[in-house]
Amino acid sequence: MNKLFNKMLRSSRRQFLISSAAGSAGLLFGVSSAHAVGRQVINLLNPSSPLVVPPNFDPTIWFTMEANGRTTVHILKTEMGQHIGTTLAQIVAEELELAWEWVQIDYPEMTAEAQATYGLQITAGSYSVHEMFDRLARSAAAARELIVETGAELLDTEKEDCVARRSSVVDTVSGEKITYSEILSSTAIEHKISEEDLAEVKLKPKDKYKIIGRSMPAMDIPEKINGKARFGIDAYVPNMVYGKIVPAPTRVGSTIKKIDDTAAKQIDGYIKTLPLNFPPAVQGNVIPTALVIAESFPAAMRAAQLVKVDWNAPAHSKISSDDLLAESKKLRTDRSKGLAWVKDGNIDKAEKETNETIQASYTTQMVGHVSLEPHSALVQNVDGIWNVFGGCQAGHVVRLVLSGFLKTTPDKIIFHPHYVGGGFGSRIVPMPVILAAVAAKALSRPVKVIFTREDDMSLEKPRSQTYQHLTAMLTSDGKVIGMKHDVVGGWMGSALGMIPAADGKGKVEVFSLNGADHWYDVPNQEIQAFRNKVIENATPIGPVRSVSNNFTVFAIESMMDEIAHKLKKDPLIVRLGLLTGKGKNAGAKPGDKAFHQAPLLFGIPGPFWKKWSFWPQYHPSANIAGAKRLANVLRIATGHAGYGTRILPKDTAHGIAVTGAEERTNPGFCACTAEVHVNRNSGDVSVKKLTVAIDVGLAVNPDGIKAQVEGSLLWGVSNSLLEELTMENGKFVQTNFDKYFWQTMDKLPEMDIQIVENGLYPCGVGEPATCVVGPAIANAIYNAVGIRVRKLPIHRKDILEALKA
Amino acid sequence: MSLLKVNGRSYSVNAAPDTPLLWVLREDLRLTGTKFGCGRGHCGCCTVHLNGEAMRSCQIRLADVEGEIITTIEGLDARSDHPLQRAWVKEQVAQCGYCQSGQIMQAAALLADNPKPTDEEIVTAMKFNLCRCMTYPRIKKAIQRASREMRNRDE
Repeated sequence: MNKLFNKMLRSSRRQFLISSAAGSAGLLFGVSSAHAVGRQVINLLNPSSPLVVPPNFDPTIWFTMEANGRTTVHILKTEMGQHIGTTLAQIVAEELELAWEWVQIDYPEMTAEAQATYGLQITAGSYSVHEMFDRLARSAAAARELIVETGAELLDTEKEDCVARRSSVVDTVSGEKITYSEILSSTAIEHKISEEDLAEVKLKPKDKYKIIGRSMPAMDIPEKINGKARFGIDAYVPNMVYGKIVPAPTRVGSTIKKIDDTAAKQIDGYIKTLPLNFPPAVQGNVIPTALVIAESFPAAMRAAQLVKVDWNAPAHSKISSDDLLAESKKLRTDRSKGLAWVKDGNIDKAEKETNETIQASYTTQMVGHVSLEPHSALVQNVDGIWNVFGGCQAGHVVRLVLSGFLKTTPDKIIFHPHYVGGGFGSRIVPMPVILAAVAAKALSRPVKVIFTREDDMSLEKPRSQTYQHLTAMLTSDGKVIGMKHDVVGGWMGSALGMIPAADGKGKVEVFSLNGADHWYDVPNQEIQAFRNKVIENATPIGPVRSVSNNFTVFAIESMMDEIAHKLKKDPLIVRLGLLTGKGKNAGAKPGDKAFHQAPLLFGIPGPFWKKWSFWPQYHPSANIAGAKRLANVLRIATGHAGYGTRILPKDTAHGIAVTGAEERTNPGFCACTAEVHVNRNSGDVSVKKLTVAIDVGLAVNPDGIKAQVEGSLLWGVSNSLLEELTMENGKFVQTNFDKYFWQTMDKLPEMDIQIVENGLYPCGVGEPATCVVGPAIANAIYNAVGIRVRKLPIHRKDILEALKA
Repeated sequence: MSLLKVNGRSYSVNAAPDTPLLWVLREDLRLTGTKFGCGRGHCGCCTVHLNGEAMRSCQIRLADVEGEIITTIEGLDARSDHPLQRAWVKEQVAQCGYCQSGQIMQAAALLADNPKPTDEEIVTAMKFNLCRCMTYPRIKKAIQRASREMRNRDE
């Protein structure tokens, strides 16, 4: 740390000591001179002697150090299985030189004040570690400097001779030491770390890491295995009543004509049925609902079966998945409906110069989030303050959205975070939150709304069905000179994701396109986005784990193999030839300033959420070396799998795929080799093994990363082979697990996961590996039996038909 | 009033006789470690022991279990130190954790019945307990670990 900074810390701390000595003579723990190691004695028997508890050392919003030696790291991210609290605490503990056993975490309430302090704190996009690493490391390092300085003073020695080690400051000359607990019991350090401090601070060299890079056991696991963990659905307040919806006949668009609850009145505990009408403009978040209220949830469920609701059905009440796809195909033929997202080089020129084009269309069906904890929420008004208890990925966004529905201001709403029983993108603003709030207001009682599995699935906000068309332009000497990619699907309509189109004709939703902007060297490239509003009018679309990458990467990576086969080259060689990291695929330069830009997330202008501009602050060095890292993980994933060298059984083959998901600015460079067997008699596809390499830059908790990648890969298998949400008559066909199938413990593939570290900035790992699995399987099927699969999920009967043809 | 024996304690419960045991546990006794997942017995989140046997509590009526011995995740081990719970920590199984009570109760019944299950026997016993985080490989490993530990202890 430079001298100027050092001086600044010193003077500000002295200032405090002076002011505390002058302002509160009774503070017995205060030291007024550097030699006051021997502390004054508090005489507890003397009635005039105040009992003093040393104040906490609170140099930053991210953690609090207590005089008893404990440090609490405040976790503003939602815990939904990624053990994010443990990982973030490791970053703090490392730079603050804490003994791990003295570290704990908490999840603060989300209030207006917290929002002003911590920012929006959405948990999504696999960017929690990415977003927080630098901030936490720097805050902790700055705090360490303050502690070491204070410790040196108390030891009556030079700061330069002292080091921090396991929650103590040690004089390296004399060997004397003083614990953090002793320091904070003796003196009060009152310095708030500023942005300037953070910029100046010196981080530990990575080879000195003792806690980062170790697989610390997740702090949330012990209470998740003994029934003590509290999920949103476990929230309880006295005097609460329960709400159960009566399902509408269509996913969206139905309105309530009349409610007859005569028969329900015989149910013990039944209270009433609320007709909750909402305008079509908010159908992405909530639809008109008959909410049955009762004293217990079983009573609400019984009554809901007896409440007769007369609905006005919408015009599209007969719509099916096939209709949605037909619309997508039609839409693409009208080129005026497309908006350019990427427009590089000159695609028209490439089209003229090409000797050979390859064209293919790819279709992916809808997939649900289907977290095992059904959506629920509890809302209680206490003295004019709305308390929301639940599990959400964006508590502050919930506060904002609710302020509109409750006709109040966000500062009157407090969100109390709970564990989330599976997020996967489904819990930004869950519908029960709105229903519970509106009902609690109407009834003047706390209301807890619980979705049954059927409610939860019939109100899914799925990954969109998509239709994609790719055209690759080749030259006679085997170069790929152009690529056109049309992406047709429903968008999420998220204000956060809309960016200006490259052709200036409007806005495109980046969350519905990410991944199409691959890392291959293709000089002339055009990505056209087509928004299918027929889909959006049939169902709101939501972000499902790895979001658009699941379909864009499927199309791109299948096409790369199709190109290779056309060129009669190995798909690995073709990929490596195009992943050279030139031009825009070079990523950031190593010299780019490795620090967050002015943290937009810290303060949000304007009291109303619509005025908020939000964008995660990606670290500029996240994608250093770009495509070269992708080539690297591809070499590792193929090498470890024995791609091209191992002799595989009959009808069994390897297939490969790569991705830089989630976004080019926040990539987890990942490659997969899938070993797949196809049964020629049954058409069954079995995934034998997935060999995966993921470049995380820096691994904070390797086993935590491995767990996330394991989950992502099995999600990928499940999405590719089993999961499909279909729409018939304007609603989803699958509303429970007797029809919606997904991966079980049966038929698990072997997984070989290689975590690649190179000392660069850490990326997120909760999602990226999900999207490489589908294309790797599809490519393996081609290599095994010569059938090109261009649809997800992959159906056994399609394989069988193709085999017979 | 129905009389229930849960985790070694007796409770008198004032709920309709056809109320699923799951909701009696969760709402009346506030033992929320047993989870609601699908309400149809497909997912296993609500698995408890009825006289030592793993059962889906969403499919059991209160009237049918009066006086029977019911054990939930909270009562599996007084100190939360069942060999399976230790193995679950060792293997860092849980992610979101929502299904894990049910997984552990299902596995505990398996090991009580078959202390040395083969890989296939584990899959057969566990494949109807769903996990959306897909922690299956670790569940399998943890069961194998607990099985080893229980046998070593007994020898």
